[in-house]
Amino acid sequence: MDALRYIIKRILLMIPILFGISVLTFFISNTIPGDPARLAAGPHADAKIIEELQEKMGLNDPLYVQYGRYMKNLVQGDLGTSNYSHQPVMEDIKQYFPATLELTLFSMFITILIGIPLGVISASKKDKLADQFARVMALIGVAMPAFWLGIIFLLFFYLQLGILPGSGRLDTGLAPPESITGMYTIDALLTGNWAVFNSAIIHLILPGITQAAVTIGMITRMTRSSMLEVLNSDYIRTAFAKGGSQNRVLYGHALRNGMMPILTLLGMTFGHSLGGSVLVESVFSWPGLGRYAVNAITYLDFPAVMAVTILIAVLFITVNLLIDILYQVVDPRLNYD
Amino acid sequence: MSLLEVKELKQHFTIKKGFLGEKKIVKAVDGVSFKIEQGETLGIVGESGCGKSSLGRTILQLIKPTSGVIHFQGRDITHLSRKEMKDVRKEMQIVFQDPYASLNPRSTVRTILEDPLIIHGIKSRHKRMDIIEGIIDKIGIRKDQLDRYPHEFSGGQRQRIGIARALTLSPKLIIADEPVSALDVSVQSQVLNLMDALQKELNLSYIFISHDLSVVQHISDRVAVMYLGKIVEIADVDELYQNPLHPYTKALLSAVPLPDPAQMKERIILQGDLPSPVNPPSGCPFHTRCPQATPECKAEIPELREKSMDHWAACIHVQPGQKQSIRTSIS
Amino acid sequence: MLLELQNVCLELKRNHKYVKILDEVSFQVNQGETVGIVGESGCGKSMTALSIMRLLPEKAKLKGTIKLEDEDVTKFSKKALEKVRGNKLSMIFQDPLTSLNPLHTVGKQIEETLMLHTDLTKSQRKQRVVELLREVGLPRAEELVHEYPHQLSGGMRQRIMIAIAMACNPSLLICDEPTTALDVTVQAQILELMNSLKKMNEMGIIMITHDLGVVAEVCDRVIVMYAGKVVEQAGVKELFQNPKHPYTKGLIESIPKLGERKQILGSIPGTVPAPDKLPSGCKFADRCSYAMDTCRRKMPPMVHITNEHSASCWLLEEEEGEQFVTSGSKRIETTLHH
Repeated sequence: MDALRYIIKRILLMIPILFGISVLTFFISNTIPGDPARLAAGPHADAKIIEELQEKMGLNDPLYVQYGRYMKNLVQGDLGTSNYSHQPVMEDIKQYFPATLELTLFSMFITILIGIPLGVISASKKDKLADQFARVMALIGVAMPAFWLGIIFLLFFYLQLGILPGSGRLDTGLAPPESITGMYTIDALLTGNWAVFNSAIIHLILPGITQAAVTIGMITRMTRSSMLEVLNSDYIRTAFAKGGSQNRVLYGHALRNGMMPILTLLGMTFGHSLGGSVLVESVFSWPGLGRYAVNAITYLDFPAVMAVTILIAVLFITVNLLIDILYQVVDPRLNYD
Repeated sequence: MSLLEVKELKQHFTIKKGFLGEKKIVKAVDGVSFKIEQGETLGIVGESGCGKSSLGRTILQLIKPTSGVIHFQGRDITHLSRKEMKDVRKEMQIVFQDPYASLNPRSTVRTILEDPLIIHGIKSRHKRMDIIEGIIDKIGIRKDQLDRYPHEFSGGQRQRIGIARALTLSPKLIIADEPVSALDVSVQSQVLNLMDALQKELNLSYIFISHDLSVVQHISDRVAVMYLGKIVEIADVDELYQNPLHPYTKALLSAVPLPDPAQMKERIILQGDLPSPVNPPSGCPFHTRCPQATPECKAEIPELREKSMDHWAACIHVQPGQKQSIRTSIS
Repeated sequence: MLLELQNVCLELKRNHKYVKILDEVSFQVNQGETVGIVGESGCGKSMTALSIMRLLPEKAKLKGTIKLEDEDVTKFSKKALEKVRGNKLSMIFQDPLTSLNPLHTVGKQIEETLMLHTDLTKSQRKQRVVELLREVGLPRAEELVHEYPHQLSGGMRQRIMIAIAMACNPSLLICDEPTTALDVTVQAQILELMNSLKKMNEMGIIMITHDLGVVAEVCDRVIVMYAGKVVEQAGVKELFQNPKHPYTKGLIESIPKLGERKQILGSIPGTVPAPDKLPSGCKFADRCSYAMDTCRRKMPPMVHITNEHSASCWLLEEEEGEQFVTSGSKRIETTLHH
């Protein structure tokens, strides 16, 4: 029950944070120069139409009234209507966010699958060939700009070899699966649509690896340094003294003890990627949240900007909470107080 | 007039567990009283968590006491201002356990020794050097070593520097908190001998805090035994070691392995470990581990009473005037 | 013979160069016998233990032979080492808190040894873990299995370490300062436990400690080490009553003894030299008040005083010991300076 109390406490703590964020974004975006009504009306609209629009959009009310109205709607699940797409923002988010979530989950999956073992090997073979190799790979991954790596991948795997698709989420001609989660791979699995599943996976590969390159590098290095510290501990010596093999000690004793900083970093990159990686999404024409956000900012689409900001904040806080709960699963010494 | 007199000293810490967590009180020092005369050494022994280090720090007012009075040279020092306390600190110094951690690694020995003199307003550099050279001569550091850094010295030498730093202001009282515990035996004896010699020469008083009963016996004139923040027994060193009254003192003494395989002794093995000072047992704090505990021990907190001449113990089962001897084996 | 070390030398890499840590260490341990290794920090006593366990840093150079029941441990493959560690040969360490894995339950940590070395089924192992906890004197064993090290006291943790080490009935148990991190009253409990386990199991024990009190309490024979070398070995009574090496004497004189008040303690001037700055002749010469020219030039041989008692000192070689022994203890210098 301690765990439940802790989680409820943390969720309640989210409220003031979100309130602060919403106030900040709302007032900042409303004080930047630029008139949403004019943008919505188009460049050739006359003054009268703009005035009418301003009145209709409530732009003439004092800011706090506008904010109050916005929050009231928000609580009811209404994020307003996009000034650009003329759709409810909620609909836009439902469309773009799953794409980003899918890409992020996929790249995190690759990161964990490659980054952590590479880091463990690096630490156990410190200063040997394997470690040097991992060090160079990590450095390349971190140092290479994502858009550049993306373009190289496109040139090679798409244009040159033609074995992997270069843009979008599905082959042209395939209809997206019935939307359950909005993530094509998962929806395809749930509906048993294998053709769509295959296509969706194949489309994930290049953007996924591009996005994972940086995080693999960071996770490898973090795992290595965390493991090196742990491998010096007395209980590792005890584990060897019991007759444990190298692998048993590394993966059975050391890794879990070295997990804390790795979890922290994973959480941060996960939260960060959920906001959508503009560069990767642009290079691979991935219809994700990052591109949506950039568009919204360019067109002073305030409802969309607000929605994206609040969504990212909620995601970040949620991921952080998940990581904190994971800490306590990993380490029994941390209790829920 | 005693040099130092401590009355009903208490040091309670509040610990709060986490955000919105409940408060808990640790009674690190819980009603301690004793006196020290000029030139005397009071040993304070006890196991980890008994509050002996907190006691030392509280006397020095490195942490303000929760309640109680400390008289130093007849003056109540518990309510002094910062500035007034600065003057008192000149007379009262501390030596720590880990000589490496307590010396600034970036300062030379000269700077380390000179700093307290500057702080306490000795303006003439010449005079400062005179004082420093006089002290290092006593503690066995050469003049040409003054410009070296702490890492260039061995553990024993570092502890000598720690002692020298405490001596620069010619204090009357030195509180030594486990000063030899981090040292190897052969070096430990060097430092103990040094402390002995300095005491005789400078008529110093020591409060010698240690977990090592043999070391405390060697250096002390009087010894206080602490258990969970309280003094359970206090007496002259020979009286305490030969005729311990409190069951805890008896157990403690019998637990020390003697470096002599020819001597066999009766051993009292206590059950369990020290209870946590956060949640001390009711009544006599020792009753949970005491082989002689009775239901009364659970109910009332025994007071520290004089059981025989200058021999005080806090146990309801020790009758005044009672002579008890269990350590027949020790000559 | 349970264990026999012959001319064991160990070099470790320190600051990019190899430094001699152990120098021709030879001794034996018989079945059912407790052998103490004493000396000050840096004398190589812990490294001797880790050499027997072969738990040395990767670039260590180990020479000589370490025979455990007639098999040379120094020639063991990785697989063979894994088979013997925790099984025939086990070890407990100084700090029981850091030596136990903080994230595994007590039960899991004890069970791991059984899983690695026995064919017991899971339920048999669980049962054996509870038995072991009872054997090391821990209360409420069934509940304890599910607890974590941080929930236990220092004494309980060391008992857990002992249970892990005893799980497979080792022939040799190495204890590296097993009670140094514990309070006296708890130390007494642990020493008592070890003595009773020894009686039950007929194993050999190597007890590494800096505390001569602990040595006197539990050991049958003692090895005194200084700067990587064995300087004296003898039966425990003989060593305390009739120490031959000036270092051993200095050590014994240095400790304040309970029940005995002296004005001034004996002491050994100076400090243990760093392993890369050892003198060429006798390693102790610089701190020895009897040092002669020969001492500084040549390493003294091991002189056998009796069958059981040997020491490495030129005085014993040249004067047949007698004169030195009688006049020796009075001449130990009580220095304040240096």
